[in-house]
Amino acid sequence: MSHVVTPLDQPSNYKDSQARVDRHKQNELLSKSTTLYLGNLSFYTTEEQIYELFTKCASAEDGGGIKRIIMGLDRNTRTPCGFCFVEFYTHGEALASMRYVSGTKLDERIIRCDLDLGYKEGRQFGRGKSGGQVRDEHRQDYDPGRGGWGAQAQRMEIERRREVEERYADAQDVPGAVAGGGGDWKEAESDPVLKRGRSPDDEGDNMRSGQRLRMEDEVESERM
Amino acid sequence: MSYDRPHRGGGYRRRHRDDYEDRRRDVYESPVDKLKTTIIKYGDVDALEELPQLEKHIRESVQHGISTLSEAFRISVTEQPFKIPYYAVLLRRLHEPTEEMPVSSGPSLGKQILEDFWKGFQAYLDKLMWREMRLCIHFFAHLTVAKLVSTESMLALLQSFTAVLDEFGVSHGRAKKAAVCAAEGLMIGGPILKASSSRQVQEVVSAIQAYNDTTVSSKWLIAPVNTMHSNLSSFASADELLDIVLQVLRTLDDSDFAETASAFMQPYVSYADLDPTLFTAYDLPSVLIPPEVIELDSLSTDSGEEAQIKKEEWPEYFLCLFDDEITPDPKTPAGYAVRTGISDIVDIFEVNRKECARLLLEFPRWVPVGTFKARPSAAAESDLAPPAPDPVPGKDWQLESTIIENVLGTYFCLPESLHKSIYYFSLITELCKLSPSTVGPAVGKSIRKLYSHLGEGLDVEVARRFAEWFAVHMSNFNFQWVWKEWIPDLSLTLRHPKRAFMQRAIELEMRLAYHDRILKTLPADMQAPESQTIAEQAPGPNFEYDDPAKPHHDAAQSILNLFRGRAKAEDVISHVETLKATLEMTDDGEVVNADAVIRSITMQSLLLVGARSFSHLLNAIERYLPLLRNMTGGGVSGTSGSGAPDAKADVLTASATFWKNNRHMVGIVFDKLMQYQIVDPTDVVWWTFVRRAETRALSEETGPTSLGAFEWDLLKGALDKANGRVMTARRKVVALRKEDDDARARAKASGGDGNAMDVDADVKADESPTTDSPALTTALKAFASLTKEQKGALSRTLDGFVSYLAPATSDVHSNPDSHMVITEQGWNDRGVWEKEQWNAWETWGRYRHFCRLYAPYLRSYSTTLQTVSFAKFEDSTDPAVELLKKMWNIAIGQE
Repeated sequence: MSHVVTPLDQPSNYKDSQARVDRHKQNELLSKSTTLYLGNLSFYTTEEQIYELFTKCASAEDGGGIKRIIMGLDRNTRTPCGFCFVEFYTHGEALASMRYVSGTKLDERIIRCDLDLGYKEGRQFGRGKSGGQVRDEHRQDYDPGRGGWGAQAQRMEIERRREVEERYADAQDVPGAVAGGGGDWKEAESDPVLKRGRSPDDEGDNMRSGQRLRMEDEVESERM
Repeated sequence: MSYDRPHRGGGYRRRHRDDYEDRRRDVYESPVDKLKTTIIKYGDVDALEELPQLEKHIRESVQHGISTLSEAFRISVTEQPFKIPYYAVLLRRLHEPTEEMPVSSGPSLGKQILEDFWKGFQAYLDKLMWREMRLCIHFFAHLTVAKLVSTESMLALLQSFTAVLDEFGVSHGRAKKAAVCAAEGLMIGGPILKASSSRQVQEVVSAIQAYNDTTVSSKWLIAPVNTMHSNLSSFASADELLDIVLQVLRTLDDSDFAETASAFMQPYVSYADLDPTLFTAYDLPSVLIPPEVIELDSLSTDSGEEAQIKKEEWPEYFLCLFDDEITPDPKTPAGYAVRTGISDIVDIFEVNRKECARLLLEFPRWVPVGTFKARPSAAAESDLAPPAPDPVPGKDWQLESTIIENVLGTYFCLPESLHKSIYYFSLITELCKLSPSTVGPAVGKSIRKLYSHLGEGLDVEVARRFAEWFAVHMSNFNFQWVWKEWIPDLSLTLRHPKRAFMQRAIELEMRLAYHDRILKTLPADMQAPESQTIAEQAPGPNFEYDDPAKPHHDAAQSILNLFRGRAKAEDVISHVETLKATLEMTDDGEVVNADAVIRSITMQSLLLVGARSFSHLLNAIERYLPLLRNMTGGGVSGTSGSGAPDAKADVLTASATFWKNNRHMVGIVFDKLMQYQIVDPTDVVWWTFVRRAETRALSEETGPTSLGAFEWDLLKGALDKANGRVMTARRKVVALRKEDDDARARAKASGGDGNAMDVDADVKADESPTTDSPALTTALKAFASLTKEQKGALSRTLDGFVSYLAPATSDVHSNPDSHMVITEQGWNDRGVWEKEQWNAWETWGRYRHFCRLYAPYLRSYSTTLQTVSFAKFEDSTDPAVELLKKMWNIAIGQE
């Protein structure tokens, strides 16, 4: 904690405008958040490029790593529209990204990172009228990394990069369409006999609670 | 200096530039906060100019309490060490009696603040906050020279730090930090301390010297420049921290610390002594450095091995990149003062790299005039500017080169840098953005210098980090590098460290950008395919069954169609069974292992479906987890002789083959296969050392007995995964155990059977066997499984290295090069080394790094691991075996 300068890993004024939780709850979620919102991406930046840069904030030896990346897509065209979510396994990794990566270049654009409340179904799609991000509706400048001129000019630019366009053509907007990325390590579930053998003093109880716990873990990993 | 916002005391609060409500709340600053801010910002414009005004302000604000003032001093000293001499002079002024506070009214304001400041120091001591302790000692040392603190008590304080060095079994980390505290206190306070007691000064120096003499072997393992054959621990281009400290102390001592004045600021020396009849110097209370905290919650594994990880700290080497005329030699007093001053800024301001960069470029303000070359720009352009001061002989260094050398030196610190690598990268990026015309050239020169060390003994891990930094740095500056100056080196053998660096740097650049972009930045000689510097094509997938003319094309298509149609996993499993049966039926002696073929076809097809992006990969794996589990659970049909390890290795081989043109993807796929528990870290380790090496197509570059940067990444990924899981499991156990304990305590407190007040009953309750909650039992079981896996992964790695570097005579792959490269003669002949020799040399370097990086883990299992891997060499006099054992023994602390 510094008294002399402002740390860079504090939540900014970024927020999910559609989040339905109060400010107190939001702050609490952010103080544990493992998810980053990335903004100002080029439409052509790939998940692997993002993976490469953000791995440098990961702490694998501490149980961390990149859990998943969710590319922000144009609602109509299913093409990347300049934002994404990066989810880590630990909060510290998200903070490290804020301190060290936010404000540096990825794919030759200065990107912005913000702590996020956590990915929710449907948030991978742009909310602008034309399907992309709202900010690109009103943009007046020419930005070759974001489809040239504002929304109108995008179509033509995107023709140019058919590969990118088609990459996410199969993206679905249904529950479970976005992969989880793998949860915490779990004991193999295949041989209950062995499990029973290991706890001779209280077999029945342990079996039941063991199963219950596993289920809880599963629910948790799905929620995450 | 200009801070973003006024300091608001106590703690930090969020900044909401655009949030009106919060902004309004934040604007309010209490008078106490304001006072603290004023003290903390002291010196931002001109310390000596501000001094009278600030003194007056503080004297007028006494009503806010001494503790407010001392807290502001404490924050200032520990978070702005460059200002410490000025806080000393401020405190000196506050010691003067005034009309409002005559001597008769009791201790001066300054002394009251100092007494209260000490309490803060004591708190740092109790929590063993070493950096804060050390910076407070700087402050006390300045105060001693300013005659506000008694020399006797200051010497006693320093000696309580050197006492740590004599503790039985003191860890290197603790000893090093204690030694540096004492040494820096002596460097600053020396002039007056030696005059007071030359004997005690000698004792401090001797204590550090005696300790340092015991660290020779660990230095050998940790130096950033090294050879395999020599035992030397001192190098022309790298200096070790305690060696530096001792040399500086000796130099200072020789001149009775006359040089202190030219190394450290002493703005207080012009002040006359306080009236000795009325003033007595403050006696620092005596202290004991508390022992390191031993975690009570340590957990033992099943076999009784301690699983707790205590990161042993190693000697600290700093790589020197520039001549002493350009950047200071840290072994000189002034050089050391600069080095430690810059290092402290880099460390303290890690929370805000932008502020850190700004403070670094302003650093010359805080050191004696003439330390750094004056900036030519402003002075030359303006006639009004005062003439630049005459250069001080032996100084006049280049600021930017000094900063970059320092930041990189810290980044290259082995086995691990203090902060994440990316911090140092972004800090250098910020420095370049602030002053491109001066920092840019310093960065370029550093890169050239580091490059020149490649192949001349630069540690393999340092070379790896160099490439990583290079790629990220270039990605922030349009990938502009003058590659053409390295064209002559294309004539070097392919695995020469310089060529390996070029390939690796370009590969890493491509990961951050894309193939065509990087190709464009290279000169034609490097673009040429025959230079083998960059791949001809963008690194796409390599689906072996794509070509209809190739075997198994139809089988692969049928599986692909199922995947593409999102068929259920069970349906794919039964289809795969059928395919395998057909394959066995039509087996005309060609197909040796139907299981292996089926695994390859299935895995490659699944990867093709997931090849579009990382998310597609995750979706493909997640949808077909049952298939993958079935496939790796002991053979598709379950009837063949191949057990699970082979099946897992087949899956890994298929993945590495599919992505053989894109090593980044291999790493990603392996990581997620481990994450989804399709394979275990031990499988990846075994695959990397054995199965990969056997597969010709995957070991073309390294041959069957060596590891390159890519293979090291795979190993590290596996080991970190195994270690990380144990770490997570341990945290879970500790949390659940605490929960259990709390629950029990609550139950007991609530009186259970009504005997709560009965002392005897309480004792009995404590003795009764405690039953763990089901959650804790499960967590403990997981912890046991994971520590076993961790041990297995480490053991296989050690075994892998041993089999590569000292293969048994019966081994199919003898490795004469691993013997040759570790001899002095061999090393001197490196000019004619070919691929094989450099590969062997690199593998030794990887082994060296494995030992030191994972030492804390290896120590937990040292007995078992060395029995498994070294027992067969009981009486061996093979030099390779001896070197393997030597590195191992140093790492686990047996030498």
